[in-house]
Amino acid sequence: MIRRQFLKNSLGVATAAALSSCRTKDSRVRLTFGSYSDPGVDVLKDEFLPEFEKATGIGTEWVEADFSGWLQKALNDGETKAGAFDIYVMDDLWVPRFAGAGYLANLEELGFQLDSDFLPSAIDLGYWPPKTGLRQPGIGSSAKPALFSLPLVGDVQILFYRRDIFGANPPATWEDILRTARQKSDPGKRQYGWVTRGVKGNPIMNSFFVLLHDFGGAEFGENWKVTFNSPQAVEALEYYLSLLPYEPEGVAEFDSDQEGETLLQGNAFAATIWTGWCRQTDDPARSRVVNQIGFSVPPGNVKRVAKLGLFMAGIAASAPHKTEAVEFLKWFSRSDVQTKFARAGGIPFKMSAFKDEEARSKSRWLDAILDAMTVGIPSPRTSDWSKVEDILGTHLNLALLDKGNAKQHLDTAAAEATAFLKTAGYHAD
Amino acid sequence: MRTKWLPWALIAPTALFALAMTVLPLGYSLLTSFEEFRLGLPPVFTGLQNYRNLWSDNNFHSSLATTLVFTVAATAIEFVLGLSLALLLKEEFPFHGVIRSSLIIPMVIAPVVVGIIWRLLYNADVGLFSFAVHALTGKNISVLSSTTLALPALILVDIWEWTPFMFLILLAGIQSLPLEPFEAARVDGASAWNIFVHLTLPMLRPVIVVAILIRALDAFTVFDQVFVLTQGGPGTATEVATLMIYKTAFRFSQFGYGAAMAVALLILVACFSAAVTRAFKGTV
Repeated sequence: MIRRQFLKNSLGVATAAALSSCRTKDSRVRLTFGSYSDPGVDVLKDEFLPEFEKATGIGTEWVEADFSGWLQKALNDGETKAGAFDIYVMDDLWVPRFAGAGYLANLEELGFQLDSDFLPSAIDLGYWPPKTGLRQPGIGSSAKPALFSLPLVGDVQILFYRRDIFGANPPATWEDILRTARQKSDPGKRQYGWVTRGVKGNPIMNSFFVLLHDFGGAEFGENWKVTFNSPQAVEALEYYLSLLPYEPEGVAEFDSDQEGETLLQGNAFAATIWTGWCRQTDDPARSRVVNQIGFSVPPGNVKRVAKLGLFMAGIAASAPHKTEAVEFLKWFSRSDVQTKFARAGGIPFKMSAFKDEEARSKSRWLDAILDAMTVGIPSPRTSDWSKVEDILGTHLNLALLDKGNAKQHLDTAAAEATAFLKTAGYHAD
Repeated sequence: MRTKWLPWALIAPTALFALAMTVLPLGYSLLTSFEEFRLGLPPVFTGLQNYRNLWSDNNFHSSLATTLVFTVAATAIEFVLGLSLALLLKEEFPFHGVIRSSLIIPMVIAPVVVGIIWRLLYNADVGLFSFAVHALTGKNISVLSSTTLALPALILVDIWEWTPFMFLILLAGIQSLPLEPFEAARVDGASAWNIFVHLTLPMLRPVIVVAILIRALDAFTVFDQVFVLTQGGPGTATEVATLMIYKTAFRFSQFGYGAAMAVALLILVACFSAAVTRAFKGTV
C-alpha cells in the first residue's frame, strides 16, 4: 500500500513538473537558426544569442550541420516551404540562389531599415538582384534590387604574412612575395615562401580569385562573356604557378585546414586566408608564431582587391516567427551591439565597431579586415556561379599538377564554361 | 469475410510505410528526371532531354567509368583478402575472439571519420604514408594530388574499411559448412589445395555471391570517403558518379539533370546485380 501510494505520488509530481516545463517552453517564442558549423559564428552563438534572449525574452535555438549538409537542409526547407527554420545562416554565395528562388523574405517589407553605419560592400551582398554589375538572364535591368539578407559575421580573405620574415611592413607587391620566397624558402627545414588551397573547385578558386582580379582579370565581361582566359588571367595563373616550387609538397590536395595549419606551425611565410583564422594566430595553444603574423590587404598588381565571403542571415519566406526574426536582425545590427561583438572577438560589419579603440586593441587584425572589406569584391552574383566555379576550379587544379600550361588550361575551362552558360540561357549564340 | 481481409489489413501499415519510403521517392526522382527543375521555378516537363544530354556528357561517362573501376577493384581485392582471412581464422586458437573482434574495427567507424583518418595518413607533408614511402624509397610522394595514385589510394581506404565485412560473412559461411565431406576428402588423401578448390569454394558459392553483390552495390554508391579525401580530384581522377550527382543537384541546383543521372546509375546497378545473379543462377 505504501509502495503504491509512493508510486502514485511520484507520478503526480513528475506529470506536474512536465506540464509546468511545457508551459514555460510554450510561453515564449523560440527562433530557430539554421547554420553550417564554423568557428566564425562561435562568438555569436555562444555569447550573443544568450544576450539577445535576456534582452528581448525571445528564445533561440541553433541548429547546425556541416557546410554541405546545411545547404541541403536549407534548400529542402526553402523549396518545400516547411517552415522548420526562421533564420538561414548562409554563405554570401548562396544569396542569389536563395533570394532568386523566393526562399527569403524581403527584409524592407518586414520593416527593417538600414542606417549609414553599415559597410557598403557588406550590405550590398544582401541585395537581389544585385545593385551593380551583371544580372542573371531573366532579370530585367529595371528590376529593383531588394534587401533579402543581412551580414551576420564579417569575413574576407586577407594577407597573413610573417613579420619576422618580411619586416614590420607587409609586402607591397606580389613580386615582393615571390622574391622573398625564392631567397628564404628552405623545404629541407619545412620553410615555405607561400601556401595555398589547391583542392579542385571552390577551394582553389578562392585562392586564385584575388590574383585574377589583382592582375586585371575578371571572370566575366559584358553579357556574361567568359574572360577568365584573358591575357591578364593567364599572367595571374602563371604567377600563381611560379610560387609552386616554394610551397609544401602536395598543395594540390590542400584545403583551408592544411593551409591554415601550415601557417600556424610556422612553416609558411605568407598566404591569403579567411579572417576566421586571425584569432588562432595569437593563441599559444594553437600557434607557434604568436604575434609574428601580420595582416593586410593582399598586394596589388594592376589593382588591389580582397575576396569577400561573409556569413549572411536571411529570414525564411516560410518562417513561423518573422516578427521575432526581424527583431533579432535589428538588435544584432545595432551599432552598440556590433561594437560589443567586435570587443568579444567577433568580426563586425559596421564601421563604428571597426573603429572602436577597445575592439582594435583586443583584435589587432581589425584594421586590415576593414581595409580589405572596403576594397572587397564578392564572387559573381549568379546562382550558376557554383557550376562555373567547379569547371574553372577543376582546370586550375590540373594546372597546379601540370606545373604549367596556364593558357591551355584556362582556354579549356573557358570553352567548357561557355558551353554550359549557353545551355543555361546566358548566351544567345 | 473477416478472415479473408484480416491478413491484408494486418500487413497494410507496413506495406504502406514501405511504399512511402521506397517507391514514392523513386517515382518522384523518375518524374523529376523528365523535368527542367530549377530552384524557385515551377518544374517544366522536357521529356527525354535530360537523358539526351546525359548521352553526350563526357564528364558523366568518365565518372561512371571511375565508379566501375573503383567497384571492381575494391570488391575483388576485398573478396580475396576477406576469404584468406576467413580461412586463416576459422579454427579456434588462443585469443581468436580478440583477434576476430579487432579485425572488424574499421567497419564500425563512420566513413567520414575513415576519410579524415586517411587524409592525415596520406598528407604529403606530414602524413605517415608519405613518411614511410620516403623512408623506403627516398622519394617524396603526394598520393592525393597524383592523377594516377589518387584512385588506388581511395580503393585502399575502401579495402581497409570493408574487408572485415567480407571476412565476417565468409567466416560465417565457412563455419556453417557440413564437416562430413571434408573429413571424407581427408581420409581419401586429398590435398589442402584440392579440398579448397573442389569442396570449400563450390559449397561456399552462394555465400560468396551474396557477399560480392552486397559489397559491389555498396561500392557503386561510395561517396563519403571521396568527398572527404579528394572531392573528386585531382582534376576528375576520382570523380565518382554519386559525387557528380550530388554536385549537380545540390551545388549546381540542376535537380532534373541530377535525377536523370541518379536514374541512369540505378539502371546500371540493377543491370550489374541482375548479371551477377544470372551468372550464378542455381547456386543462390
